[in-house]
Amino acid sequence: MQNVKQIFSIITIVILSIVSYSCQDKEDPTLTTTGEMIVKFDNYVGNQTMVVDEVGSTNYRYTNNSGQKFNLTRFGYYISHIKLEGPNGELFIDEMNASADANQIKGYYQVVQGNSETYNIHLKGIPHGQYNKITFNLGVREDGIQEGAVGGILDRAAGGWFWNWNSGFINYIIEGHSDASLRDDNRVQIHIGGWKNIPSGDSTPQRFFDNNVDVSLPFDATVTVSNTLRPSPHIMMDLLKVIGDADLSTENNIHSPAAGKAFASKLAGAFVVDHTHQ
Amino acid sequence: MKSLHNKVLWPSLLAILLIWMGCEQQSEKPIISFFQFEKPPHFPEPTYTFRNNEVNEKGFNLGKMLFFDPSLSRDGSVACSSCHVQSHAFADTWLHPFSFGVEDREGKRNAPPLFNLAFHREFFWDGGVTHLDFAPILAFESEIEMDISFEDVVGRIQRNDAYKALFKEVFGIEEVTGPYVLHALSQFMLMMVSADSRYDQYILGDQQALSAVELEGLVLFRQHCESCHREPLFTDLSYRNNGVQRQISDLGRETITEVSEDRAKFKVPSLRNIEVTSPYMHNARFEGLLQVLNHYTQGVQDQENIDPLIFKDGKPVIQLSEDEKTKIIAFLKSLTDNNFLSNPIFFNSNDR
Repeated sequence: MQNVKQIFSIITIVILSIVSYSCQDKEDPTLTTTGEMIVKFDNYVGNQTMVVDEVGSTNYRYTNNSGQKFNLTRFGYYISHIKLEGPNGELFIDEMNASADANQIKGYYQVVQGNSETYNIHLKGIPHGQYNKITFNLGVREDGIQEGAVGGILDRAAGGWFWNWNSGFINYIIEGHSDASLRDDNRVQIHIGGWKNIPSGDSTPQRFFDNNVDVSLPFDATVTVSNTLRPSPHIMMDLLKVIGDADLSTENNIHSPAAGKAFASKLAGAFVVDHTHQ
Repeated sequence: MKSLHNKVLWPSLLAILLIWMGCEQQSEKPIISFFQFEKPPHFPEPTYTFRNNEVNEKGFNLGKMLFFDPSLSRDGSVACSSCHVQSHAFADTWLHPFSFGVEDREGKRNAPPLFNLAFHREFFWDGGVTHLDFAPILAFESEIEMDISFEDVVGRIQRNDAYKALFKEVFGIEEVTGPYVLHALSQFMLMMVSADSRYDQYILGDQQALSAVELEGLVLFRQHCESCHREPLFTDLSYRNNGVQRQISDLGRETITEVSEDRAKFKVPSLRNIEVTSPYMHNARFEGLLQVLNHYTQGVQDQENIDPLIFKDGKPVIQLSEDEKTKIIAFLKSLTDNNFLSNPIFFNSNDR
């Protein structure tokens, strides 16, 4: 009977351990060693703060490099694939997921001028350590498009900036009016999008343009993420770096990858980490 | 000892197994139903992202309700089904070479048929839409089709209690949002599989399915047409200019790729169910199949980007006798899939 008792006790232990293992929440074991960071985006037009006016407004607040006056009625951009790096090999890669379920959308952010809630990107799960560089993708890449219909900030029916005729997201959207534009209501629309490249061959031209832009910005100082420290880098974006040299009398109706390419090439230079709050 | 072993050990193992299984997350997979998407055995792997949107009967039926609902156009006058008619393989009827949208606005291209969409990577004549889920957005928002913003479509659905309840039942959501509307429509369209024509029966082993004339037509087809209308989809999914515009007014694929090398190119259409999808070509130029073949053998003329497979060295490439044309047309009519054209699962049930 000694054997039977032994068998019983072994089985009991096995059952209990399996039960406790299989029923436990699959929690991230590193949870206690991660912290947070808030990345703040401030949009400017030259040295003026950015203000969005009502459609139809003739209050031209801004002037480009050639003296053309304009205002903004809609402005914003998508941010995705955020990465943080530190001097000692620290690395944080923001999780990405495109899904119909808005609550399952991960790693995509939409900065919408006029909606201050969108200016702050709250990153969580960052391993404790030091950080001095942020990298992100400006726009939505193929992995956010070719999974099919997606929700949340990517939902066309809920304010997502999506081209219906040439599938893809508008990575960076500029709308407003300029007295230089001869379109109806002096409209200006510069929609910068495009997510694939079909490179040119010996006898074929390039088709499509991937106007997603990698933006890599060093911090002005090294910051620490810990249980008590939640740093906040402030990124400034200057629209004049993108459209300052544009001629708004002709470049006022941009709606395709090829047409947006020249603007896309200037996007990375429009962003800078101005300062960081430790 | 042996018997005690059996009395204790096996029930214990069973208990462990049961407990283990009980801790697994609840699976919500529907019971296998007739409405699952099935790839025909002779078809390539589908390219649709089923991992994000698996077809089930309730989702299919919800998509069908939306497809037949005219209240989803701006003025309530047209539904998807107004221009995509089952008996015409979900193309428009021959009465409408160009379909009519809201306020009888006439379209600019012939409404394409809808079937085997799970196997396509790009949609519409110019291929600008790169995922089936996104195709309805363009039809809703086009001024010459349903002329309503997708936001308004979703708003109308959200305000309709019957729809709201169905979306909750199918997708488990309290608020109807854009992607679920698109997923429901895709579920309905994905089930439009046409793979049961007499040609298919022949390919799958029924030697009697095609007549002698049709078989001769198949041989001629493979000789002259196959390079673009590739089996089993009867399209190679490429974009070509076959010279159907006398003067190029519709830029076609160039609108999407923005290079003149794609001017006047259009997506090669499938020839399945071609018998019931007259008129033909993006500009609805031809009423009959003989006219189409005559175009290829005599009508086609040199033009910017004209496809070298049909026009080369100053003359049409394809040469066919009248007898050969008759045989090819006989074969093309064997591509009609009557079971698909009359399958009751696609019938409108909104008025029930």
